[in-house]
Amino acid sequence: MTGTLKWEIVHVPGEPEVSLEVSTVNVFASKIEPKLANKIARQLNQVCPLENLRHVKRVRKRTVEGNVELSVILCLSDEYEKDAEAIPRGIHQLISDYNLCPYDEKVAKYAARSKEEWEEQCKLWPTSYHPPTNLDGVAGLSEGELQLIFNYMKVVIQLTKLSYTGGKVLNAAIIVDPISRQVIASANDQTCPWPATYETSAGYSCNDGCGVTIASHESNLNGLQNSLEISVQNFQLDICGDVCAGVSCLNPWGWTAQKQSSESSSLKSQSKHTWHPLRHAAIVAIENAAKRDRQLFPGPGSSESESTPKGNSLCADNCPAKRQKIQEHSMVKEVADNREPTEVMRPYLCTGFDIYLVWEPCTMCAMALVHQRIRRIFFALPNPNAGALGSVYRLQGEKRPQEIFVLRFDTVKSVTEPKILYFGSRRFKTHFRFLICVAKNSIW
Amino acid sequence: MARGDDKPTPRRAIPSVSAAAAAAGDAGRAASFGQLSMAQETGLDLLTELRFMELALEQARFALENLEVPVGCVIVEDEKVIASGSNCTSATRNATRHAEMEAIDTLLEEWQKIGLSQSEVAEKFSRCDLYVTCEPCIMCATALSILGVGKVFYGCANDKFGGCGSVLSLHESASEKLSRGDLQAKSFKCTGGLMSEEAVALFRNFYEQGNPNAPKPHRPVQMLQSTE
Repeated sequence: MTGTLKWEIVHVPGEPEVSLEVSTVNVFASKIEPKLANKIARQLNQVCPLENLRHVKRVRKRTVEGNVELSVILCLSDEYEKDAEAIPRGIHQLISDYNLCPYDEKVAKYAARSKEEWEEQCKLWPTSYHPPTNLDGVAGLSEGELQLIFNYMKVVIQLTKLSYTGGKVLNAAIIVDPISRQVIASANDQTCPWPATYETSAGYSCNDGCGVTIASHESNLNGLQNSLEISVQNFQLDICGDVCAGVSCLNPWGWTAQKQSSESSSLKSQSKHTWHPLRHAAIVAIENAAKRDRQLFPGPGSSESESTPKGNSLCADNCPAKRQKIQEHSMVKEVADNREPTEVMRPYLCTGFDIYLVWEPCTMCAMALVHQRIRRIFFALPNPNAGALGSVYRLQGEKRPQEIFVLRFDTVKSVTEPKILYFGSRRFKTHFRFLICVAKNSIW
Repeated sequence: MARGDDKPTPRRAIPSVSAAAAAAGDAGRAASFGQLSMAQETGLDLLTELRFMELALEQARFALENLEVPVGCVIVEDEKVIASGSNCTSATRNATRHAEMEAIDTLLEEWQKIGLSQSEVAEKFSRCDLYVTCEPCIMCATALSILGVGKVFYGCANDKFGGCGSVLSLHESASEKLSRGDLQAKSFKCTGGLMSEEAVALFRNFYEQGNPNAPKPHRPVQMLQSTE
């Protein structure tokens, strides 16, 4: 059945550009003698660095009637508007030393996220532009990567299908290291009471109670796929209707309405402490990833014993240190030749990892994924009730936590069922609207 | 206990976390009860509020001692502290283990142990107030809305990730956006700026001491931070 799925990935971009008018700041600038440019710029960077305007070039060069004309940004002007006395003394000094005539300029407040935006910004005052590497939507994904993405999406959908018991379906999540191709953690929603058989330990803090644990090897994934085919023949994701009410992110406020249902006879009595309104799949997956991290890399002073299994699939080729070298180009890296996991190889939280979810996360889960430094989020179906990545909110485009969201928050929506594809145009927007429309009328 | 004057908290200039980061290295300002003059719309006795916030700050100091980001909280029911929590993201390597989440988990576990049902637990949460030293982030603000807590008091603003006004306003907005009537997002009343100077001072201490758990190219530990 899954063999017939057709796939398409659509990138969910951040907010369309805010018009430049609302995203500029006022600065004092001054023309300067070209030969003094270096000296003045150096002094300015000492007395008045442009902390939050790193993308703005300090000096602007223009050619006016054949003459080169240089201007320099002295300081932000907004905060001194009412009180010229408050301008830093060093700036006054510079003004008098070099006979500068400050005047008002506007510069772009935020770093440009697209070439077009950058070109627009430079009409005001030059800025620098760093195109996002490889995070620029779907186009940057290679054929091999696409195949991997589809496979992982299939796995996570199957995890959801596996949870389809008692007429309810749960969201599922897997966290994946795309470099080493390991599944780091997996989880289902745990907001409702879940069968005790799934649980290995009580308590919330570091419980391993994800619905299904996938071992971190590709071969096991294949095994899982095979075993799932049998159990969930007639389950269809897109026509699930009321069964979706159990999906935590779709219905975050619905937990109070849960009944200790009659199916709870299948729950062992000691498992009655096992519902938790906040244990959405993504949150549980993060918890499982953190637990794995503590086990693999017990830090200094940690009480957990060195329980690193031999023959661990972490090897020098895909150790996190190296991955960071590839992906976090600004980092200072060390590559360990040591083949055992060491502190040097220890990833910082989930830096560089991807997560796959069946449903678009709610604001709680989306923010949690940002906190945990997840690099990319893939989800199959939108969440018209509470989705944080385009449906209701658009966290990846929020201006203020921009450096986080834009760099680390590449959201890709993949469409899973051929049936859905059939209706919409292949273009995401139309398609997306269609889904919401259906959602309002019948599905949700 | 919703009161009539349910208007959103005015956006006054509340000292924020990143202000502390930027100012790290400056001589720390002496902690003061500068908020005493703050107008209180909540009707609660200001001294009571300060007393609970002081307990939250105690939790934050505990976090700082453990080299954690210094945020702490207490949950109050009927003027009694029934749970407390402090940030432990470093020790757990789980960046979602914020103070609020810690305190909430304590309560959920406790209440389920004594056999409360989901609706009883929801009822309990609606009678609880949360005091937290820093504005709840988007994640925690959503969580508080999901649980339906009564009121939230916070210290300093969280201008990067704040979910109670700084970036999103999850405490007041969510329900209107929902497409299905029975999925009421719960709003809660939120008051910021309570002993914010103290909360910021703790952040400043934290940034000065550096975060040994941060990734490599981060702010160096134990080095005085220049104002750049």
